[in-house]
Amino acid sequence: MAASCVVASELLQNTKQISMFFPKTSRFIRRISTSNLQCDKQHQLKTNSASQQLVGVVGLEIHAQINSNTKLFSGSPVRFSAPPNSLVSFLDASLPGTLPVLNRRCVEAAVMTGLALNCTINKKSLFDRKHYFYADLPAGYQITQQRRPIAVDGTLTYSFLSGKKRSQVIRKHVHVKQIQLEQDSGKSLHDDVRSQTLIDLNRAGVGLMELVMEPDMNCGEEAAAAVRELQLILQALGTCQGNMSEGQLRVDANVSVHRPGEPLGIRTEVKNLNSIRYLARAIDYEIQRQIGVVQRGETVQNETRAYDSKSGETVPMRDKEGLQDYRFMPEPNLPPLIVYEDDASLPSGIDPGQAVVVQEIKEGLPELPSVRRERLVQTYGLLPEHSFTLVNEDGLMEYFEEVMKGTRREPRKVIGWVTNELLGQLKQRDLSVSQSPISPAALAELLELQETGHISSSIAKQVYQEMWNSPGKTAAQTIQEQDLGLVSDVAQLHSICQKVVDSHPDEVCAIRSGNTKVLNKLMGLVQKETKGRADPVLVMDILKQKTS
Amino acid sequence: GSIFIPILSCKGAGNGRCGTIDPAAVPADLVDKLERLALVDFRTKQGLACLEKAVRFAGQLHAVDTSGVEPMDSVLEDRALHLRGDAVTEGDCAEELLGLAERTVEEYFVAPPGMAEAAFMSSHQLPENHREE
Amino acid sequence: MLSLTLKEVSQAFREGRISPTELCKKCLNRIQRTQHLNAFITVTQELSLKQAQQSEIRLSQGVPKGPLDGIPFAVKDNFCTENVKTTCASRMLKDYTPPYNATVVQKLLDQGAVLMGKTNMDEFAMGAGSVDGTFGPVRNPWSYAAPYRAQTGASSDSDWVVSGGSSGGSAVAVASLTSYLALGSDTGGSTRNPGALCGVVALKPSYGLLSRHGLIPLVNSMDVPGIITRSVSDGATVLGVLQGLDIRDSTTVPAPSSLTDLPEDFDIRNICVGIPKEYHAPGLSEETVVQWSRVADLFERAGARVEQVSLPHTQYSIVCYHVLCNTEVASNMARFDGLEYGHRSTMDSSTEVMYASTRHEGFNDVVRSRILSGNYFLLKQNYDNYFVKAQKVRRLITDDFRRVFTSGVDVLLTPTTLTDAARYLDFTQEDNRTRSAQEDVFTQPANMAGLPAVSLPVALSRRGLPIGLQLIGPALEDKKLLCVAQWVEQRVAFPSISDCGDIQESRKDTGMTEREQTSAV
Repeated sequence: MAASCVVASELLQNTKQISMFFPKTSRFIRRISTSNLQCDKQHQLKTNSASQQLVGVVGLEIHAQINSNTKLFSGSPVRFSAPPNSLVSFLDASLPGTLPVLNRRCVEAAVMTGLALNCTINKKSLFDRKHYFYADLPAGYQITQQRRPIAVDGTLTYSFLSGKKRSQVIRKHVHVKQIQLEQDSGKSLHDDVRSQTLIDLNRAGVGLMELVMEPDMNCGEEAAAAVRELQLILQALGTCQGNMSEGQLRVDANVSVHRPGEPLGIRTEVKNLNSIRYLARAIDYEIQRQIGVVQRGETVQNETRAYDSKSGETVPMRDKEGLQDYRFMPEPNLPPLIVYEDDASLPSGIDPGQAVVVQEIKEGLPELPSVRRERLVQTYGLLPEHSFTLVNEDGLMEYFEEVMKGTRREPRKVIGWVTNELLGQLKQRDLSVSQSPISPAALAELLELQETGHISSSIAKQVYQEMWNSPGKTAAQTIQEQDLGLVSDVAQLHSICQKVVDSHPDEVCAIRSGNTKVLNKLMGLVQKETKGRADPVLVMDILKQKTS
Repeated sequence: GSIFIPILSCKGAGNGRCGTIDPAAVPADLVDKLERLALVDFRTKQGLACLEKAVRFAGQLHAVDTSGVEPMDSVLEDRALHLRGDAVTEGDCAEELLGLAERTVEEYFVAPPGMAEAAFMSSHQLPENHREE
Repeated sequence: MLSLTLKEVSQAFREGRISPTELCKKCLNRIQRTQHLNAFITVTQELSLKQAQQSEIRLSQGVPKGPLDGIPFAVKDNFCTENVKTTCASRMLKDYTPPYNATVVQKLLDQGAVLMGKTNMDEFAMGAGSVDGTFGPVRNPWSYAAPYRAQTGASSDSDWVVSGGSSGGSAVAVASLTSYLALGSDTGGSTRNPGALCGVVALKPSYGLLSRHGLIPLVNSMDVPGIITRSVSDGATVLGVLQGLDIRDSTTVPAPSSLTDLPEDFDIRNICVGIPKEYHAPGLSEETVVQWSRVADLFERAGARVEQVSLPHTQYSIVCYHVLCNTEVASNMARFDGLEYGHRSTMDSSTEVMYASTRHEGFNDVVRSRILSGNYFLLKQNYDNYFVKAQKVRRLITDDFRRVFTSGVDVLLTPTTLTDAARYLDFTQEDNRTRSAQEDVFTQPANMAGLPAVSLPVALSRRGLPIGLQLIGPALEDKKLLCVAQWVEQRVAFPSISDCGDIQESRKDTGMTEREQTSAV
């Protein structure tokens, strides 16, 4: 922990410089690059007066909706838009006499997620009831796993970019305390006009994985990077769709401040974090707020606070006043949940289709984001930061690999197009990769035209711009219509070169006396004359002849 | 020969007189808290007396030596839980369910405005996605 | 005809001596004439007749569905019945009509059995007298039979004895000959207790053998649907129909054997009968001790081995039960808030106020006080001291039984209740908790350990009231348990109520409760 703190602060200071000198760079890492202010201040405080200064400590509680056809304990469908109360079974409505029956898919999803996070899978886990009254909790309790969750003691490894040009990939770890299966609640719609609350139970009983991340993070950026990595992992696994704005991934942050080496401070719980950007801002705000409180000699209150995205502040929510007591008790209608290590450990007489076997799930794990990045580096010879951008940006890796299929151009050249030109345009227009008007095949065609010498790189950029302006038009069409193809007519080039050579005797003299660099100047003049369309290889040959 | 049925004294079986450890007094503020947690109204002397009797009765358990004994949730603790396949078999019965409710609005169940007492789950004041699970 | 066993009735159907419709009408008529017993909350007259007619068609075509086709049955009002009100004898569910059938009810209907109605009980099955329901107390039919009237000289209408509970209505339905079988529920003795007091056979099967899906729970980890019949053999028939895995109830287990008829010539000499010494509890009536000894003697004389055994933690069982029961009650009752179903208070200044007043108006004092103490035991500061402590004691109690059964004992023989049925006026002198502790003292240990147990009537007391004894077997040995029970039944010659002078019928001016008898919607 102490060691990683140092790394973090080092990196964080760098990050500030980056955002000052390269304000545009951070734009490309939209989801991660957020306010770095907090981390910087922490670092400065820390370095300026050693361990007397306060630093933030952040833990996370994350609820991930399980991507399944049916709910955790009932056979009613899981869907995100449907008429109110149309996805509700008798159990979901808590009709008396109904009993929970566990969905195997949800168990497998939790095991899979646990394995991806290097957790220990508990061969035996238990369900508990957590009691509280609320209008969208029909049974008056939620079934969860309080005593013995399905997975414990894992690690989430996440990275983010730092250093000059944000080219340094910083890798960090956060301890995953546990993953527990539990039921989601319904939704309450508050109708203030008629002073009533409308209850829709469509979401009631949907399976959730609650992931508890230990307070191993120090600022909003780290928490944001950890959540983004988790989101990528869940999406790769298919265990959760991970859309935060639809509530499929919900994050609460526990924030406190302390002086390194001293016990953790009193924490607050920050809720209402429905995007990764807000998550980072809210945490950084809250750390600053708490530092202020402590520096004023006051005490941080143990309370729940909500993030107000308009003001950028966290505001206290009415406190539980120490009253809440969830009165946990074992769920008596569900015997222990047993998962098996491998086929050999299956008891005789059990239906193999019934059992959840850890080994089988392990073998079926898909490529995880970290492996993907590694593969991109290995396969294409990309830089780590490029692999980072490709994987972290939804759909960008797939886009890149699709482009690679259509061109012989070097990966390192292609990556520039994808991470700079494409992503830049997309961000400007607030589009996602999947919404790109330029398909991977269209970009590949353009790059291939450049690769085969039909157009120069400057023309390629021009054509690319044109493709954005008139979507649907291919590169070849644009080149033809605007007569942008390379001039390779030797006679024509000879005459242009001759004109340039004749009008620049001093330069020719310099070249003849050995300063061949001046050739580039003549080349530039030729290109100017041809609006960049002259075949540079041919032109160079001709100029050399004429100046020798 | 006739079977001898031994006549043994069994203190505690039903008479609530043995093994009592402490007077099981329940402070008034705890009753208040319980009533609010359980949402049952029992603000009478009778209610308190009833609770204290129940607690006193339960106190007899303290006479049993349970060191080294694992708690037992269920007689099925050694059986594995049955798991079902992830196929839709229920739902689509909104009309039937709403028909059971005393009050509904359109296709919704309907509750009075939110919890009045700050003490009750303040996190529920949040937009629906973000309240405590 | 009404006092026959269901086997005999089934035979009569096939021989054409009576038709299901005729029998159904006779039972409906009998229900009408025994209204003063207050055994039924809902009589499903129209539905019953319709089902009986369908059964009649099947029988006339020679294609009955099985041994229960056309047999009238009653169901305790805490089992969900589709389109038939299910009230739990509570104001909370007074007008609640579930949209589905409990698995055990569905299985009986699938067999062609004819539902007569829903029976009275203690509110949410919390009680041991069937005196604490919102529809008034259930009366024991033996209160009106000749022996009791002759022995006690009782004449006034207020002098009647309780049915026991909480499944009093179901026991009374079978005892008063309005149904051939009835479903009860048994959490701490709620089927066996009224079975013993009403002189009928009452079986609590092994935990998990019968589905609880659709049974409105009291204590999920102990509840078992109970089977009340007039003979052990009938009980075995019904168990055979109801037992087995139900995918809707994750706590069900596969039936160890398909239960066919019990052998008529069961060899008792291979059986070892244990007499637990701790069951000789204070308050146990001398008469019951006599009957206990008599049956033990019967076993020994017939060549069975009879041994005194010890279940040392028995004395704590009722306390342990009290804690576990109240905690689960506190949890199970949390769903009743008036929002989705059931009673809803008109006080609606906030959700919390609406919930609290709904629960205040909907639950009686007994339910509310159990909720309160259950929540107390679950509070963080009390959890280990009470709830976990009780769970540990539960293991000790279960281990006691395991030790005895693995030492070679096949069944335990115990009394079912301390005494015969109490007069209503005496019974209501004590509060519900105290009464439950007394009444369940011999029955709830079997629930703690999930064991099968059956109560069967062995004699009439000096007051002319039934005395029952209980047999307890090892888990999932229900069939062997019933074999032993039948062996006893064949030897004790308990009289039928119809041989004891007909039951006094309801007089127009008395016995009726304020409530009207309702028929199914």
